[in-house]
Amino acid sequence: MSTSVAIKPPVEPAVGKERTRLTGFMPLIALAALIAALTIADPDFLTQRSLTAAARTAAPLIVLAAGATLVVLCGGIDLSIAALASLSTVFLALWIPDLGGLATPAVILVAAVIGVLQGAAHVLLRIPSFIVTLGGMSILSAVALVVSGAGTVRVVDDSTVKWLDLYVGGYVPMSVMVAVIVVALIAVLLKVTPLQSWVSATGYSESAARLAGTPVDLVKIGAFAVSGACAGLAAVMLVSRQFSGGPTMADNLLLPAVAAIVVGGTAITGGHGSVWRSLAGALVVTLLRVGLPIVGVPSAYEQILYGAIIVVAVALTLDKSKVSIIK
Amino acid sequence: MNALEVRGLVKHYPGVKALDGVDLVVRPHEVLGLAGENGAGKSTLLKALVGLVAPDKGQILVRGEPVKLRNVVDAADHGIGMVFQEQSLVPNLTAAENIVLGSEGAAVRRGVYRWDTMRRLAQEQLDKIGSNIDPLARTDTLTFAERQMVEIAKVLRIEERSQHPPVIILDEPTSVLESKEIETLFAQIRRLREFASVVFVSHRLDEVLDVCDRVTVLRGGRSVGEVATAGAVPRELHRMMIGSTGSDDHYHGNAATPVVSEQPRLSVRGLSGRSFQDVDLDVAAGEILAIVGVHGSGREDVCRALFGAEPTTAGEIRMDGAKIELPSTRAACAAGIGYVPAERKVEGMVGSMSVAENMTLAKQKARCTGPFVAPRKQATLVDRWIRRLSIRTPRRDTAIGRLSGGNQQKVVLARWLVGGDVRLLLLDHPTRGLDIGARSEVYRLMRELASSGVATVLLADSLEEAIGMADRILVMSDGRVTAEVACPNGGKPSPLDLVKEMV
Repeated sequence: MSTSVAIKPPVEPAVGKERTRLTGFMPLIALAALIAALTIADPDFLTQRSLTAAARTAAPLIVLAAGATLVVLCGGIDLSIAALASLSTVFLALWIPDLGGLATPAVILVAAVIGVLQGAAHVLLRIPSFIVTLGGMSILSAVALVVSGAGTVRVVDDSTVKWLDLYVGGYVPMSVMVAVIVVALIAVLLKVTPLQSWVSATGYSESAARLAGTPVDLVKIGAFAVSGACAGLAAVMLVSRQFSGGPTMADNLLLPAVAAIVVGGTAITGGHGSVWRSLAGALVVTLLRVGLPIVGVPSAYEQILYGAIIVVAVALTLDKSKVSIIK
Repeated sequence: MNALEVRGLVKHYPGVKALDGVDLVVRPHEVLGLAGENGAGKSTLLKALVGLVAPDKGQILVRGEPVKLRNVVDAADHGIGMVFQEQSLVPNLTAAENIVLGSEGAAVRRGVYRWDTMRRLAQEQLDKIGSNIDPLARTDTLTFAERQMVEIAKVLRIEERSQHPPVIILDEPTSVLESKEIETLFAQIRRLREFASVVFVSHRLDEVLDVCDRVTVLRGGRSVGEVATAGAVPRELHRMMIGSTGSDDHYHGNAATPVVSEQPRLSVRGLSGRSFQDVDLDVAAGEILAIVGVHGSGREDVCRALFGAEPTTAGEIRMDGAKIELPSTRAACAAGIGYVPAERKVEGMVGSMSVAENMTLAKQKARCTGPFVAPRKQATLVDRWIRRLSIRTPRRDTAIGRLSGGNQQKVVLARWLVGGDVRLLLLDHPTRGLDIGARSEVYRLMRELASSGVATVLLADSLEEAIGMADRILVMSDGRVTAEVACPNGGKPSPLDLVKEMV
């Protein structure tokens, strides 16, 4: 088509554009549909109280999922986030008496460093991120047990983390505000710098990215660092609610976090997706978790519905035109 | 009666008419060539013939009967089989398993492989084409040419599905073969003609004329002509393909400027790596140096090593006299080296990303103010290069995967130019898979860059290309530089001169 006898350049099909725009909103549509369905099932669901409760529960999950989304965008996966968050709750609870207000940044920093170590192991030793973080998950869990003495560590003076458990304007939980700010920060940082190109290129086609001189290794390690830091922040949120740290406190958040990422429509194979999508995904997952019992779904059926809705949601939100191979 | 006939086939894609009423006739026991530029509709037509594309209008007739082909199996039932351009064998299975894969028949009883039967079945197929490949060899231990033979053997199994002679389609089978292997393949095609009809697709017109009985030329989704190959000349075909006479000077040799430079731009001494030893080479600013050699000569790895993508064990690299280290591709980029990989679709570009993102991937600084991307700066820059290289794309944010091969390659080339700091370009088969028109544009671009002082190392797609484009040619064999041949405009060596050095 590139001869001097010009054949008209293919016109961007209007239909395809519409569809792309629509799939961009799919996570939000799925979220709205879910709220609508829950409201129809139980009109009392749509009250400020239950929505606030749901949002508060969602905050740590949003942060965890947002961080891990970066790793997924780079084509990897971070399975250690929940174990790292658990360990971080223990560290935080142990350090608050000595460090006071500095305990929070210290925990987030340590979590980020642990993320960097895993990222470096993945990149330098050329081990799949799945394996590195699977090992990391196990090691971090064990360390949490040892450090905590296999028990809950109470936080007696919670004044330094209590602020996260307050409400902005009386309605919006502070932790949710922080979670949204974190998502926005990551999104803006990607958008206004070359990072977006680098992350997408690395996720879509690592060899092409490398041969274009993209700092693939640094980008990946950076993604793991953010993922780790987010796990640390999620831990702070958990401690602020529970007034304690525990060696398995966040462990049950791993699969919901992965579900949040894919429900948001981020391709698990890398390249395509965004942290905003994971925010919507985290809300969907949380609403399912807290919403189904509220509207009176028997607990035996809850799991079935949960599983089915997750699969359907992914079918809706994943833009298949952007992802060539579905594994 | 015709073995296969296509009447008025139409296929629309959103915004493009890939097939616009194409007609085609394949007679029994003939080799029909299909020629046409990229975008002429060849691949869509072929896909329609094996049921991978459902045409909007028109008819496909097999031995006079109109048929509807829903998928590859359906097509095979009607005796039509295709050897795909990208090979479709499973690498970790044996040749025999691949040959029976999907139509195991007697090779499987009660769900269990019967290895003896399978080997016998596979051997029968291999015997048909007179191949001596061991059916129990793992596919990934075979050479590309051998794997192609396995594919042909596999396709020939469709004979068992119908009593009639099959139609075998070969899509660009020669594009990655060495000349000797091409000879073998052609012998094979002539043998196939005894019991089948063959549709042969290639970019290289001399090949089409060599092996085919008749050629149908496609342009813009229609059949624009038919030529009996006896007595036909490539130029005539070429004219039909592009609709006008092509430039006589395909390689834009007149635009070549004599190289005047005291100090070489790139100077390599004693470079050694996994598959090459003790390589010395110099390239002056404005010079195009071609490296030729057979498969396994190590020239690709030398090229990658010069881009920091392949480790080296010894040697020294100097750019404009200054010694440089290339531990990573990033270091090479920073040193003003650009690389266009051979595998465009996998390594050259990121298909889902936009033209603009692909174009600025290597030189982020060019679109940034400080650490931030400046959208307006990016738009101006990208639009300027789209115009300068006449890249045909609907918009700058169109995904690059939607462009034709030639335009994709121009974006990949532009990637190194947008920074304005490229001093050395390494081009690994930059015209692979491009049609004649797009090739010519890439050649013109190479000339322009050379005359602006960029040094170029070219791994050409063919000896003709190397001779046409290069100022100087290095011959590599078994990882070593074995000869250097001057190649000035007006004093070009013949391909034979080079082949003598290569073996």
